[in-house]
Amino acid sequence: MSEAAEFHDTCFQTTDGDIAVINLESARLRSWSRFYQDPMREGIAETVVEHEQLSAQFAGDLTALDRLEFLAKQLSQTDAASARTALIQAQVASMKHRFAEARHHLEQAEIRGAQEAEVNRLRLSLDQACGTNLDRVLDERRETVRRSGGIEDQVALAGLLADLREFSDADRTYGQALRNYRDVSPFPVAWVCFQLGVLWGELVPEPQTNRASQWYERALERLPGYTKARVHLAEIYSSSGRAADAESVLIPALSSGDPEVLWRLADAMAIQGKTADAEAQMQAARSEFNSLLERHPLAFADHGAEFYAGSGNDFRRALELALVNVTNRPTLRALEQAHEIAVSAGDSNAAVSLLGKAIERWGDTAGFKSSPLAARRLASQEGAAA
Amino acid sequence: MSDHIDGPRQIGDPSSDLTDLFAFISPENPASTVLAANVFPTCGADAVFSNAVDHSIVVRRAKVTGIGDATKFETSDPEIRFTCRFDTLERGAADQKPIQRGTCTLPDGQTLRFVTNDEKGASTPDGTFRIFAGMRSDPFILAWLFGGGMRKFQNLLFNDNVLCIAIEFETRRVLNPDNGSLFAVIAETVPRPRPAAFVGHEPPRLDWVGRPEQTNMRLNNEGVAGADDLRDLWNQQTPFGIDEKVRPLFLQRLKDSLVNWDMRDGKQDWTPSALAANANMFLDDFMLFDVAKPITDTSHLEIEKSTLNGQPYQTGGGRTVDADVIDVLLTWMVNRDREFLEGGTTKATKPGTKNFPYFAAPNTDLQSVVESVELGAAPERVWQLIGQFGGTWHPLIANIKLIGTGIGQLRVIETIDGKQIIERLDALDNSARSYRYTNIGGIPASDYTGVLEVKPKGVGSSVEWRSQFLPNGPGTLITKTIVATLFKTGLESLKSRF
Repeated sequence: MSEAAEFHDTCFQTTDGDIAVINLESARLRSWSRFYQDPMREGIAETVVEHEQLSAQFAGDLTALDRLEFLAKQLSQTDAASARTALIQAQVASMKHRFAEARHHLEQAEIRGAQEAEVNRLRLSLDQACGTNLDRVLDERRETVRRSGGIEDQVALAGLLADLREFSDADRTYGQALRNYRDVSPFPVAWVCFQLGVLWGELVPEPQTNRASQWYERALERLPGYTKARVHLAEIYSSSGRAADAESVLIPALSSGDPEVLWRLADAMAIQGKTADAEAQMQAARSEFNSLLERHPLAFADHGAEFYAGSGNDFRRALELALVNVTNRPTLRALEQAHEIAVSAGDSNAAVSLLGKAIERWGDTAGFKSSPLAARRLASQEGAAA
Repeated sequence: MSDHIDGPRQIGDPSSDLTDLFAFISPENPASTVLAANVFPTCGADAVFSNAVDHSIVVRRAKVTGIGDATKFETSDPEIRFTCRFDTLERGAADQKPIQRGTCTLPDGQTLRFVTNDEKGASTPDGTFRIFAGMRSDPFILAWLFGGGMRKFQNLLFNDNVLCIAIEFETRRVLNPDNGSLFAVIAETVPRPRPAAFVGHEPPRLDWVGRPEQTNMRLNNEGVAGADDLRDLWNQQTPFGIDEKVRPLFLQRLKDSLVNWDMRDGKQDWTPSALAANANMFLDDFMLFDVAKPITDTSHLEIEKSTLNGQPYQTGGGRTVDADVIDVLLTWMVNRDREFLEGGTTKATKPGTKNFPYFAAPNTDLQSVVESVELGAAPERVWQLIGQFGGTWHPLIANIKLIGTGIGQLRVIETIDGKQIIERLDALDNSARSYRYTNIGGIPASDYTGVLEVKPKGVGSSVEWRSQFLPNGPGTLITKTIVATLFKTGLESLKSRF
């Protein structure tokens, strides 16, 4: 029995995914109503942020970012000088990957007396997202898990371990998160299953797509509306000769408006020879990506780069976006992506420059050894020696 | 709030979060008792029950075994347990919401199927039991702010809804009061176990509630310096059987918290021994009700209070739908009933009703209308025209009169068909090219807030006009149509100008 199947058989019941999504959407609308009635009341704007984050993460509702931007703006007009406004502005900026702006707001929140624990929690997320102070982040994440044992804290730790290429530890931590979970909300469970899918399907040096697809399937059993899980599962299906299955997996997610759904659907249709339909979906994907990148360039720079380096078929645009992403957050993964695109685009200067940056920043870390860039460094050293 | 959002674990799935518990004599039939439990605080218009949770209301026979500073209420088996489970959703008829059915397992083991939101409820064939489950207006009243003291305020739960389970039954047949008429009741939400799912683990409890505010006001009192949040630990305790190992921890917290509440008005009304007795009483957290005595809107906590005062109780205690439990509780904790403390209001959004299921129909949620138009002109040019609160650019407006200046000014609009609309400017930001206003009259809605905003879009601009309101009068659809027409007509007219 596979680990994913074993997990399924021995796991507890969670609230039906369709019920959970209805309740989330319903609560999201209600929280906005309450915000409109009394935007200053403690806790209401924070609840809106929480609901919108869940909506973006699990329902693939990318317009959540637009709504959050509106919320931050409203607060800046009605409650400009408060710590909570600065904290929410930092959260919203962070969600949009405007990390420098988020740090500025976080500093303001701290100056205005925001709770230390809240400031620190967000600061850790920013550092992790940007790949800065990772040793300190790791220590603090471990300590937080030791103290609280909450699933959110365990997933954050596991995500960091994966970033640091400590894949076995990451897998073990995700497993602990699942075993320790004692609630009925399906969101955290689906989230961990999804993360395990990404871990085994994309992050490890030699991806295990079968193992990954089982985790994505588990995620969808818990939460059928989980758009990201559908996209990643469809990608595996398409690449393993199951294009019709990929199409079936993606169709229910079309209403999310996520351009990655359109893109992967176009790929699945193209494989099946549905050329006209595939072209229409690809056009729609291109249009949606452009729209998203215009509104939220930093939030979707890496996804946009992946699209244009793939079926979007525009390496120049892909490299441009990948470089934007690297400038915004020079993580090893961002540098790997940009380097690969630079090589594919035939831009050797950019590739050399990116390799240099990666070596400078990450070359001494343990994680770098398993990076494809390590082999590039070796090759370039051998070339220089010859 | 009574038991609303009383710990981080509930926030994961708010539909398992118990808000309140009620026990009262049926307004329709004095020979029947009603027990009710609400879940899902501030739920949205489409909220449904979790299918992964057992929702139980549990009654035990109780007796007074000590009075005064030795006050003690003891409960005994057997439990009288009502457990509701809910199904996954069934597709509704065309354009209708999905249907959810549930099953209530009754104390005698028989099961009763019901459909949620059916106001008639479902009854057993002999009429002994009747059940309703569905969305209702939240009857809870919290009209105080506690940050840095106690300040009267409007009801913080105004217009909120909850998911309600109300069970009515024949008192004599189910409770057999001849063997004693005093009872203790709790409600709990527990994950539904899967066969062989929890190897070595009992299913943990998600939430439970006895008397109001055990968690949010007594155990988690911000006025107690350096106090950890004990609410999750409390929620995982077994009702009627708090773990002996942690009882001292909870008791100490209750004492510390009650000392703090006593001094909120700057006066000490509780002697140390009386306060300790009060803490001991609250530690045994269940709601007492006596079916042989009257349960009224003011009888809540009377059984406990009289017993602590060394006197026989006079009422049936319990809790009715309209009981103002926060004020009753605060008065007791802060000044030991020396002077009644009344919050900013004593009325819930809607009062309870005299007919089954006794909880008022749900409140209507705020509605929103958003319309926008894209224009070829720069935002500054567009704002120059429409950014004046008293501007007459709208084709449906015949005349506008401004009263006052700046924020707070009123505009009295005369429409081309002779109607009058009055609106107040609440916020203006010329740099962001937006203003916010409130409708005072002329639109069949209440709590109406509108925002007009011009944003850059490519080389031109985008104008967005949005509003939020509670429909009031002719109905949601008609009001939305009126507002949408007003917005659309105005925005469309801009196309010919830019």
